[in-house]
Amino acid sequence: MEDSLIQNSLRERFGNQSTAIDEQSDILTITVNKDLIVEVIQFIKDDLGYQFLTDLCGIHYPDQELQLGVIYHLHNFQKNTRIRVKCFTTVANPEIPTLTNLFSAANWMERETYDFFGIDFVGHPNLIRILNVEYLDYFPLRKEYPLEDQTRTDKDDRFFGR
Amino acid sequence: MMSQYTIVEPPEGYSAPGFFATTLDRVVGLARKNSIWPLPFATSCCGIEFMATMGANYDLARFGSERLSFSPRQADLLMVMGTIAKKMGPIVNQVYEQMAEPRWVLAVGACASSGGIFDTYSVLQGIDKVVPVDVYVPGCPPRPEQIIDGFMKIQELVGNESLRRRYSPEYRELLEKYGIK
Amino acid sequence: MEHLGKEHILVRPEDYDKNFSTLNLGPTHPATHGIFQNILTMNGETIIDAEQTIGYIHRAFEKLAERRAFYQITTLTDRMNYCSSPINNIGWQTTVEKLLGVKTSKRIDYMRIIIMELARISDHLICNSVIGVDSGALTGFVYVFQEREKIYEIYEEICGARLTTNLGRIGGFERDFTPLVIKKIREFIDNLPKVIRQFEKLLLRNRIFMDRTINVGGISAERAINYGFSGPCLRAAGVDYDVRAMNPYSSYNDFEFTIPVGTNGDTYDRFCVRQEEIWQSIKLVKNALENLPEGNFHMDVPEFYLPAKEDVYSKMEALIWHFKIVMGEMDVPVGEVYHSVEGGNGELGFYLVSDGGRTPFRLHFRRPCFIYYQAFPEMVKGSFLSDAILTMSSMNVIAGELDA
Repeated sequence: MEDSLIQNSLRERFGNQSTAIDEQSDILTITVNKDLIVEVIQFIKDDLGYQFLTDLCGIHYPDQELQLGVIYHLHNFQKNTRIRVKCFTTVANPEIPTLTNLFSAANWMERETYDFFGIDFVGHPNLIRILNVEYLDYFPLRKEYPLEDQTRTDKDDRFFGR
Repeated sequence: MMSQYTIVEPPEGYSAPGFFATTLDRVVGLARKNSIWPLPFATSCCGIEFMATMGANYDLARFGSERLSFSPRQADLLMVMGTIAKKMGPIVNQVYEQMAEPRWVLAVGACASSGGIFDTYSVLQGIDKVVPVDVYVPGCPPRPEQIIDGFMKIQELVGNESLRRRYSPEYRELLEKYGIK
Repeated sequence: MEHLGKEHILVRPEDYDKNFSTLNLGPTHPATHGIFQNILTMNGETIIDAEQTIGYIHRAFEKLAERRAFYQITTLTDRMNYCSSPINNIGWQTTVEKLLGVKTSKRIDYMRIIIMELARISDHLICNSVIGVDSGALTGFVYVFQEREKIYEIYEEICGARLTTNLGRIGGFERDFTPLVIKKIREFIDNLPKVIRQFEKLLLRNRIFMDRTINVGGISAERAINYGFSGPCLRAAGVDYDVRAMNPYSSYNDFEFTIPVGTNGDTYDRFCVRQEEIWQSIKLVKNALENLPEGNFHMDVPEFYLPAKEDVYSKMEALIWHFKIVMGEMDVPVGEVYHSVEGGNGELGFYLVSDGGRTPFRLHFRRPCFIYYQAFPEMVKGSFLSDAILTMSSMNVIAGELDA
C-alpha cells in the first residue's frame, strides 16, 4: 500500500489534528496524541495489516515541551512496508496507554522503556523494572543523569576526559 | 633422547633410591595443583573463549581440570569470566561463600578485573569489590593461551601455599573485609 | 495463589489446594547459557508457571552509545551477540551508511556477505552443539568447536581478533582480503560439509534426540508473530520471514538461497532449521567467493574513514581529516533511521536518532532474543523440567543480547 493511501485512510479515520504525518524520514512516520494511540495502532494493525510490532522504545528530548516519547515500529509482512508511530508526553505526567492487549511483544519492551525513562504504561500487567536493580531510584537514560557510577573510587575522572 | 623433553622439577627434598622425602606442604601442593576442579562462572564473551579453551585445540583438561564443577560445594577454583553487573555482585559473593576451603579465584577478562570498557552505573568495576581475587587475566577477551597462563599462575600459587594459610589472622582479616564468614 | 493470576497461566480450580513447589533455575546454572533466572512453580515434575528475571548482565549499552563517536560504537555492538559479532558490526555500519546515504560497491557487499555468513555458521554451530550437550550428547560439541577454531583463524587474518572482532569501517573495510584469507576460506568451506554431516549423523535422526525434542516447547505461528519472534524461532513455527529476503541489504538480492521453514515450532524444528541454514550459508559463501568482483575495499567517506597512514604522515589534507575524525569535529547529518539485519537469532535492528553531534542522540538496539524470550513461560507451561532446559537452549538466548 503506498504511503499516500495509508495517509489518506488515517486522515479519514482520525482527522488532521491528532495525527501529524512526516514523509521526510526513511519510513512513513506519524505522530499521535497519547489519547488516541491505542486506537491508531489497532487501526494500523487490523485494517492496514501491520501485524508485527518490530520495536518499541523511549526517547527523551529535554528541549521540547513534551519531553518524553515512545516510538513504535510496525511491519506489514504481506505488503513489506514499515511504519513508525511516535507519541509524546510530559515529564510531570508521563502516562501512556499500554499495547499489551494488542501485541504480547509489547510486555517486556514497555517494561524496558519504563525502566529507562520512567514512562508509566497505564494498564500494563506487571510494570516493574526489568534490566536495572530494583532499588535504583532514578530513570537512567534521561539526559540529566550521568553515565558513570558517581560512587566509584578506582577511576580518576581527570584521566578520562570527563 | 631425553634432552628434547622438558621435565618438571621435583620440589626440594632428599631423595635416594626408592624414596623421596620432602615437606608436607610441598606434597599436598603438588597433588592439589594438578587436580584443580574449576567452577566456570561464565557470564559473557569471555565465557565463549573459555568454551574454546575447554575444546580440543587448547584443552584445559590436560592440566587436571577435566571435571568442571558447576556446584560450588565441589569446586576449588572460581573462574569468573565476563562482566559482573551490580545485580550479580551479591550472587558472586554467595557462590564464593558456598565453596569449601581451600578456594582460589581467577578473574578472567577486563570486565571481571576492573569493569572493562563498561564504566557505567550498572556494572561492578571489578569483582575484587565482592570477593578476594588471586589472579587477574587481562584481555577483552583474553586468548585461550592467556587463560591457560592465568591458570598456570594459579597452579603456582596452589603449589606453594602454606598449609596454615587458611587459619592465619591475615586471611581471616581478608575475608572480614568482604563480609564473608 | 495471587501470584499465579497471569492470563497465560491455566490453573484448574481443583489444583488450588495442592502444594506447588518452587524451583529456582539460575542465574548460575550450567544449562542456562548466560545468566538469567527462571523461578518455576512446579507440580511434581510438571511446570505450572515460570517467572523470569533478567538484567544480571545489564551493561547500559544504550546509554554508553550516547557517549561514543560513531566509529567507536562498533566495539559496543561486538559484545551484544558475541557468538556472531561480525553481523552486529556490519549491521551498525550499514545503519550509519543508510543515514549518510553512502552506497557501497559490490566488492564490499560481497566481502560483507562472506563474513556475515561465516558468523552465522559459527552462531548456529554453537547453538546446535549446545542443544546436544544439554540433552547429554557431548561429542558433537567437541567436533564442532574445532571448526569454529578455523572460523576464528579466518577472522584473525581479516581483522586481528578472534571473538570481539570490531570488524570493518563505516564505508567498507580497513584492509582488503589478502590471498591467505581467500585460501583459508576456501579450505574451510571445502572441509566443512564433511564435519557437518558427521555431526548430523550423531543427532539429526537419533531416536533419543528426536524423542526428547519433538513436540517440546512448541508455539504456533500466530502466537509467534504476536510475540515479535523473528529468525530461526519464527521460521520453525512456519513463517518465512527473513530480513535478507524481505529487505535485502548488502547485495543479498544478487544471490539465491532458500529459507528453511518448519511446521510445529518445537525444539526439533528449530534444530533442523538452524542445520539447514548452515547448509544455505555454505552455499552463499561459495557463491560470493567465486563471484567476488574487483573494486575498492572502502568507499569515499572522508568524515568517518581514517585516511591511510602513509598519507597522514605526508599529506596535509589527510592529517587534518585524521585530526578531525579522532577529535570528533565532523558534521553528521541530522535525522533518524531504522535499519535491520538478519542476525543469528533474528531481526537485529538499530534505531539511530542523530542531532548533528559527534555522538548519537539516541541509539536503540532491537535485540531479537530479548523480545522472543518473553514467550518462554507460554512455551513450557505443562511440560517437564528437562523439556524446559531444552526449550531454553534451542531458543538460543544469549545473555549479552538479552540484557544489553
